[in-house]
Amino acid sequence: MASLADTIPGTLPGPRPARPSVSPIAWLVGPALLLFVVFFVLPFGTMAVLSVLSGNPVQNPNVHVTPRHYARFLGDDLYHDALWSTLRIGIITTCAALLIGYPLAHWMARMKSRLGHALLLMAVIAPMLTGIVVRTFAWMTILQDRGVINTTLIGLGLIEKPLPLMYNELGTVVALVHIYVPFMVLTLTGVIGRIDERLEQAARNLGASRLRAFREVTLPLSLPGILAGSLLVFALSISAYVTPFLMGGTNVLTLPMLIYQQVSSSFNLGFAGALGVILLAVSLVVVIAYNHVLARFSGQEGLT
Amino acid sequence: MSARSFDLGRAAYYTLNGAIIAFLLAPIAIVAVFALNPTPYISFPPVGITWRWFAKFFANDDFMVSLWLSLRVAVVVLLLSMLIGGACALALVRGRLPGARILTAFFMSPLMLPAILTGLALFQVFQLAELDRPVWGLIVGHTLVAVPYVLRTTLAVLANFDTRVEEAAAILGASPTRVFFEVTLPLIRPGVIAGGIFAFIVSFDQFPISLFLVPPKGETLPVVLFNYMKFDLDGAIAAASMVSILLALSVVLLLERVIGLKAYVKL
Repeated sequence: MASLADTIPGTLPGPRPARPSVSPIAWLVGPALLLFVVFFVLPFGTMAVLSVLSGNPVQNPNVHVTPRHYARFLGDDLYHDALWSTLRIGIITTCAALLIGYPLAHWMARMKSRLGHALLLMAVIAPMLTGIVVRTFAWMTILQDRGVINTTLIGLGLIEKPLPLMYNELGTVVALVHIYVPFMVLTLTGVIGRIDERLEQAARNLGASRLRAFREVTLPLSLPGILAGSLLVFALSISAYVTPFLMGGTNVLTLPMLIYQQVSSSFNLGFAGALGVILLAVSLVVVIAYNHVLARFSGQEGLT
Repeated sequence: MSARSFDLGRAAYYTLNGAIIAFLLAPIAIVAVFALNPTPYISFPPVGITWRWFAKFFANDDFMVSLWLSLRVAVVVLLLSMLIGGACALALVRGRLPGARILTAFFMSPLMLPAILTGLALFQVFQLAELDRPVWGLIVGHTLVAVPYVLRTTLAVLANFDTRVEEAAAILGASPTRVFFEVTLPLIRPGVIAGGIFAFIVSFDQFPISLFLVPPKGETLPVVLFNYMKFDLDGAIAAASMVSILLALSVVLLLERVIGLKAYVKL
């Protein structure tokens, strides 16, 4: 497996002496390391510590270690439901993003014209660079009762009263798919683009239909991309806050919504921390799997 | 395979892809329609064209103060993340650091770990330190999620970097410092700049971290828009959205000119 070390000149082929010594350039990692340790690792550590304390250790010196925040989570169906709907929305969003993203990624990877490729890329990246608040707003105007779809259908006389497209999981998932499908497309395009087109051609020359050549050659070879893209979209969609809040209304409650609620209205930092640790645990599993997939199948691509 | 079924397959393929592109772009087009539609509430079909929503957006103090704050924060984040991320990428590829691979995954992790938790965790630390949501805290939070973008584009450039250019400079007598400033730095510049542009837009659009780190009177534009949308859904939001979409579009075009979008996707 290619690793970072392999990309350093002089270490690649042939016998070599002991590991080359660390170069002075390594010091340049300092600022990033400092930033990440002080403002990333330390805060996450604080969150974990607060989740097992009975109160704020700065204001109250008598705090003690307690499992009560986790017990509260385990003991209430409301929280189980929130966790389950977070995961369910994540899974449905991921599947839909895969179904929508694959054809586009395939087209982009096989696109011969440079201009066509650039235009497609812009069509994928432009929505990505539009903020989530803006994109959620766009979907509200499309899916609400007086929105584009319902007024059009009523105007055409196809329906009497508006379809419930928003303030439920359906609306949430539609907007989330739109927001995260570009990540799926970009991941898949990279993998499909590296599949040798001649393999599919060979299958076709041997008599396989276009569909069969795709199903038995290209599809299996793109499996790492499918896996990596799905893990990425899942990780992103379970942490969404704005979209479930605005698209789901009072009918959808996810873990991120619960977390912000604990901070803004209950001001319960300990319980917010415990919910955070639970969401973090789920995400970490997904992130580790993602890195593993990338490292395993695409060599040094896994770096980035 | 007969010619007809061949064509049918192709037609289905292009129709499907056309529909997917429409799904991706239609929401943006619809926002443009509502930004120009004069009715007081979002309604469809549009009945005319007006600039009043843009006027309302630009005349509203809350929007303007937050837009200005968002732009300033984004510029600082752009500079910080270019410096920190660019240096970090060089160290990871050239520093012969043990565990460089794991370090890279670590520095990329803010992109995949829930940003809302980064916000929560920073908020908790600031609470314990009894700091009341300072602006530098917001900048730090944004920089954490912006550095990975610079890292990613710079690593991509470094991966295609012909190190013989540097060796040649050294052989011709350039000192290591001179090689660094006159060869290495100019070669990685496009990657760092492309990453910086992404960092700017990431900061400008950032929501979940800001949600926790902005004080009530110092909110960034996305937070102000979000709070406004909770109660009111009129053309002013559409106009505000258009402003940020146009900003994003110009960034995409700029990026295509500076480095080519392809470099970004190669990742």
